[in-house]
Amino acid sequence: MNIKRSILFRVRVAFLLTSAIGIAIFYKITQVQFVDGDKWRQMSENIHLQYRPVKATRGNIYSGDGSLLATSLPFYRVVLDPSISKEDRFRNGIDSLATLLSGYYKDKSATQYKRIISDARNSGKKYLIINRKQIGYQEKLAMMKWPIFRDGRLGGGIIFEKVDQRYRPFRSLAGRTVGFLNEDDYGVGLEYSFNEFLQGRNGEALFQKIAGGSWKPLHDAEDIKPTDGFDIVSTLDINIQDVAESALLRQLINKDANFGSVIVMEVATGHIKALANLEKNKSGNGYGENYNYAVGDQGLTEPGSTFKLLSMLALLEEGKISLQDSIDTGDGVFKFYDRSMRDAKNGGFGRITVREAFEKSSNIGISRLVNDQFGVAPVKFINYISKVGLDKPVGFQLKGEGVPYFKTPGTKSWYGTTLPWMSIGYELKVTPLQTLTLYNAIANDGKMVKPLIVKQISKGNYVEETYDTEVLNKQIASKKTIQYLRSLLEGVVENGTARNIRNNDYSIAGKTGTAQKLVDGRYTQTYYTSFVGYFPADNPKYSAIIVIDSPKGFQAYGGDISAPVFKEIADKIHAQDLKLNLDKTLVSNKTPYAGDLPFIQAGLTEDVQMLCNKFGISNHYQEQEKWVRSKVTNKSIQWVTNRINEKQVPDVTGMALRDALYILENNGLRVLFSGKGRVKSQSLPSGTTISPKSTIKITLG
Amino acid sequence: MRDSDFYFRKIDWVSIGLYFLLVFFGWINIYAAVYDEQNAKSIFDLSINSGSQMVWIATAVLLIILILVADYRLFENLSLVLYAFFIILLILTPIIGKEINGQRAWFEIGAFRLQPAEFAKFATALALAKIMEANTFDLSKVKYQLRALGIIGLPALFILFQPDFGSAMVYSAFFILLFREGMPNRYYVLAITLILLAILAILIENNFIVVGVIGVCLVIVFFIGKKNWQKVVTLAFLGVFMIGYVYSIDFVVSKLPPHHQNRIMVLFDPDIDPLGVGWNVTQSKIAIGSGGLTGKGYLEGTQTKFDFVPEQHTDFIFCTLGEEFGWIGSLVVIALFITLLLRLVFLAERQKTRFSRVYGYGVISILFFHFFINISMTVGMFPVVGIPLPFFSYGGSSLWAFTILLFIFIKLDSHRIQILGRMS
Repeated sequence: MNIKRSILFRVRVAFLLTSAIGIAIFYKITQVQFVDGDKWRQMSENIHLQYRPVKATRGNIYSGDGSLLATSLPFYRVVLDPSISKEDRFRNGIDSLATLLSGYYKDKSATQYKRIISDARNSGKKYLIINRKQIGYQEKLAMMKWPIFRDGRLGGGIIFEKVDQRYRPFRSLAGRTVGFLNEDDYGVGLEYSFNEFLQGRNGEALFQKIAGGSWKPLHDAEDIKPTDGFDIVSTLDINIQDVAESALLRQLINKDANFGSVIVMEVATGHIKALANLEKNKSGNGYGENYNYAVGDQGLTEPGSTFKLLSMLALLEEGKISLQDSIDTGDGVFKFYDRSMRDAKNGGFGRITVREAFEKSSNIGISRLVNDQFGVAPVKFINYISKVGLDKPVGFQLKGEGVPYFKTPGTKSWYGTTLPWMSIGYELKVTPLQTLTLYNAIANDGKMVKPLIVKQISKGNYVEETYDTEVLNKQIASKKTIQYLRSLLEGVVENGTARNIRNNDYSIAGKTGTAQKLVDGRYTQTYYTSFVGYFPADNPKYSAIIVIDSPKGFQAYGGDISAPVFKEIADKIHAQDLKLNLDKTLVSNKTPYAGDLPFIQAGLTEDVQMLCNKFGISNHYQEQEKWVRSKVTNKSIQWVTNRINEKQVPDVTGMALRDALYILENNGLRVLFSGKGRVKSQSLPSGTTISPKSTIKITLG
Repeated sequence: MRDSDFYFRKIDWVSIGLYFLLVFFGWINIYAAVYDEQNAKSIFDLSINSGSQMVWIATAVLLIILILVADYRLFENLSLVLYAFFIILLILTPIIGKEINGQRAWFEIGAFRLQPAEFAKFATALALAKIMEANTFDLSKVKYQLRALGIIGLPALFILFQPDFGSAMVYSAFFILLFREGMPNRYYVLAITLILLAILAILIENNFIVVGVIGVCLVIVFFIGKKNWQKVVTLAFLGVFMIGYVYSIDFVVSKLPPHHQNRIMVLFDPDIDPLGVGWNVTQSKIAIGSGGLTGKGYLEGTQTKFDFVPEQHTDFIFCTLGEEFGWIGSLVVIALFITLLLRLVFLAERQKTRFSRVYGYGVISILFFHFFINISMTVGMFPVVGIPLPFFSYGGSSLWAFTILLFIFIKLDSHRIQILGRMS
């Protein structure tokens, strides 16, 4: 019996213990939630208040002619504080608001929206995200007229939270050059290289954390105002960029090449007018901008024959040969030590003049000349390279410029064959941009200027920084040498390897290049073809380089692959650029600038912008209003807001009839019209108050 | 067929109902813990924890069916084999297990990760039940006491090697079972005295305790009387031992690494280091405290979305409940647990065999201990030790282990009459 009592005792103790601990926990929870509840709630609130950054609006990137290349557009997230609206306003408005929301977002029924909002209101919620979908400015304007919403932030509890999105009006055009920035502030192109100007300075505001990890701003205004970023004005020309990109793309597709680059530069200023890089996509279908081969590290390559220009420069500066001297190139194979140099022509060119050796791009000719002249002291040849300045990066504004590579005589990597091969563009590496800089200097009468892609950093009328043309080398060679070189480059197109792009309208000067590609230490039958030159040859305005890597097919020389792209780009620029063919166009009585622009004076923002974009007319607008009129500034259109106020006669002059009728009748006016065309005059002056049932007469013409 | 129908009806549906309620409640709280309004996913989404937990729950249901259709004799017959198997696993775990957070507590089998320490609990309960089944087993004798301690101590020891103090501590829960089965009271009196002394040693000046101990001893001597001098001498020894113990506690505490010291000190004064060691508990208290009477509403918690309370979907799941369902929600869950435990005590007491009863108490002990320690630590009554809240916390291993633990007992219970038949 004692055992039984003992067990009973123990079971009771176990029972008691369980209950006691249950009670203890219960007590503790009660204490935490009620007795100390206020303290914890207070702490909770404190944790949930935080100063958080308010994003500054990022600056725009403009092309040289004022077109927008990248901009930040405001989008909005619609949030409602459902507790704010007055009971009667809420009750009257909720049904139609729910219907409108359902009709707009199309993701929930009106009943669902009504329930969500009413539930949130009843449970005292202060922050209800109506929908995560972001809306545009026009849609925001429309929503502001909806019931409850129209009572505003303080009366209706509506909050439009602004979110900036990067937008490129010209989509992928100059994609890699404009670049991008990822969330870690790392990226490429202008967006990255000029980020410190573009990004502005973030402000700060007090936010409160609410369920689901969202933060709600506590006050209407920021505590520290954000400073918006600067705008970047690049030197790019949208039209030239477009021409360059499409010409390059066509040839790449045509020849099934791996990648290609184009740079177009203004000779006198070094302004980059177009910078395109297209590479075959990984999938093998189509081409895209993946890497800036024209500028970056990976663009460093053995340039091949385009480098012969520097060899000629060195030879001519030494002054020991003339272009009429002859050189024996033999049967097309020449041995330097154990290595054979070959010419492109089977059987060789035989005995030719120095001029012919350059124009026909004879490897043997050039390398023998250089070897004879500098073989004893190759350092002298290298000195010409550094004197010109080709051994250093040009200091381009985009981050990540490739550093040229040259061997040094007397070091381990310098062989007896290095000099002859170097003279024809092997055993050294430069980027297309650096090659172009050299050719541009020749076109610029020996003055080497630094390539520029950003000419100004500004905000509104305030200019933060201007980048002027910078001279890298006042005179890379004597005037005489430059003259010879220019005649040689013209000769290449007149009689040499680029004869195929010769034309009667204007003259081109340049040099082809076809470099065998080094793959795993062996030269292969794949080529890196290029053409670099300038036009018009007699008075150079633009210089350009085209490189195309690994074209497929039989004719894989620079003259056949890259030169036609140059021609195509040059043709288009020549045809478009008024200054270039001014002498050939009939003198018109209109001023040249006005002649560029179509006759648009006023209208619906959306329409006129679309119209201009379709015709490739650069136009921009800072605001977001519905109606604008045009103002011509610097070859482009600046839209000016045409304010339409309720109960006032609007200004409809310059509008087409459709727009004028719409605005006037919407404002409650009766309209009589006469004539055809655009509104020339209106009978009631703009700005006057509209009396009911008044009539306005408009004359078109 | 009729036979199995019969036992099916004998199943204790109350416990099963409580089990499923707790599992369901746990599941929706896990969803709340990972819920992100910015990127709202369905509770069934397998890419988030609530989705995985759903899979664990579904597989747990399979386990339940397997246990219920198995032969009930299987568990008794296999008990020692299972125990041996898990001991071997526990020995292997620190050697070939996968290291996570500085512990080698996990076995990786393909995409699955299992925590043997969780499963060793039910195997230990089975083994204890098996050795105590014999009529001769008498816990008042030291020989049998040592055997029972061995069975309990062995897995605890290996788990300490992983090292996982929380899980090892769970094994001390079996002393509740031993108490019910006749372990002498004096051990418990001694243990409770020592624990109280330890707390006092940390809290107040040692000299006061010494005076207290001597005072209590003198009072006891007064009651025993001088005649029983043997007891007086024992008491004197005990007194001296306790005084030494008090001083050694202080000494040990001062030798502990500072972060362990803080973990203990934080209990008594959570404000010592609210952002450091006290962080978890403070955050958990803020969550529960800001819940108020009815809570902030399901999925409306601000405190419990990952960023503030660490380990929120596993060990600190209770504070999600406290924040979103408030005092009432907490109360309901505590009530569910207590009801389940009391129900299990009732079931254990109606067992006709010692094996079933002992196992039943094993289940009660483990669940009780987990429940008590886990909730205590979330409300700041106990130091933070990482053990899950049964059926509630996120995790496959723990859900499976608790399911097996409970349902073996429910299975045994459903056969209680049959067992009686076999015995007679």
